[in-house]
Amino acid sequence: MHRFALAPLLALSAAAAGGLALETTSRALAQSRQPLLGVREPGPAPSWKNTSWLNAGRPLALEELRGRVVFLNFWVFTCGNCTRTVPSLVDFDRKYRDRGLTLIGIHTPEFPPYAGEHDRSNVERALRQYHIAYPNAQDNDAGTWDLYGIRYWPSFVLIDKRGVIRYEGYGEFHLNDGTYQLWDRRIRELLLE
Amino acid sequence: MRAAWAAVTLSGAKGAISGHAPFAGFRVTLILLLAAACSGERGPGAPVRLEISPAGEHTLVTLIPASHIKLNARLKPALELADGSVLRFDTPRLTADSAYFAEPPAAVLPGRHSRVRGTLRASVCENDAPVCRALVLEL
Repeated sequence: MHRFALAPLLALSAAAAGGLALETTSRALAQSRQPLLGVREPGPAPSWKNTSWLNAGRPLALEELRGRVVFLNFWVFTCGNCTRTVPSLVDFDRKYRDRGLTLIGIHTPEFPPYAGEHDRSNVERALRQYHIAYPNAQDNDAGTWDLYGIRYWPSFVLIDKRGVIRYEGYGEFHLNDGTYQLWDRRIRELLLE
Repeated sequence: MRAAWAAVTLSGAKGAISGHAPFAGFRVTLILLLAAACSGERGPGAPVRLEISPAGEHTLVTLIPASHIKLNARLKPALELADGSVLRFDTPRLTADSAYFAEPPAAVLPGRHSRVRGTLRASVCENDAPVCRALVLEL
């Protein structure tokens, strides 16, 4: 099979025109192997502006959740890492909702609308499929994703009763594994404050 | 920016998929992302490469992931063409959990083409990192 030797030419053009992008990529690749859970320097959680909500009678505002611990999950139903984490989130909601935890899904599509991730009916179907009873906001313009500086699916942000971000992280986890237990401890810690 | 790789645009690779007439009998392979190779850092290499080959009257475009990458099958990779149409990559062979492609997905581009231009989107997951990222490349 004849094969064109394009790689050297591409390497030169890419290095010339895309040097910054290449550096960004390498940094991102390296960063993906960093620990997935972090303690964040406390700071006020920004207010989201999402208008389309599911499992909520009306749009939820961060300000009205003062006095409750808020756990944000940035996800999308097409992401296996996200949906495999959902049982743990459903469990947190079941255990801690009545003790002061509000779990909120921020559903942020990866692709443009032609992929179907923006459709409310598809999100509703996913909520039923994964037995998700906690509120979910459609973040179709990625406004809240950008507001919180999120980079990966799934990601998590834990906000204390005063509206301060205390913990953040990303990556799939499962019922009762080490990461689940770490988030569980953090939730209980903030509920006791 | 949605994800780290969403920031990557290989403007230097525009129009880089090109062949010589006659196209038939040739297979053109383009390494889409030369990041690791060009940066001089040790890394897992290009996440995907695109291969085009003739398929009868049409052109078969195959998206081949690097060995450390899984392609999300629940969000079929897409090639957005300049005329507004969108090609979706697919293959029936999936992993047992149906979450990822078990072989490189392909799409048929109508007509014979020796180059592909457009925006390639794929949802990619590293084998050892429990997250998905959006990969966006301008061809």
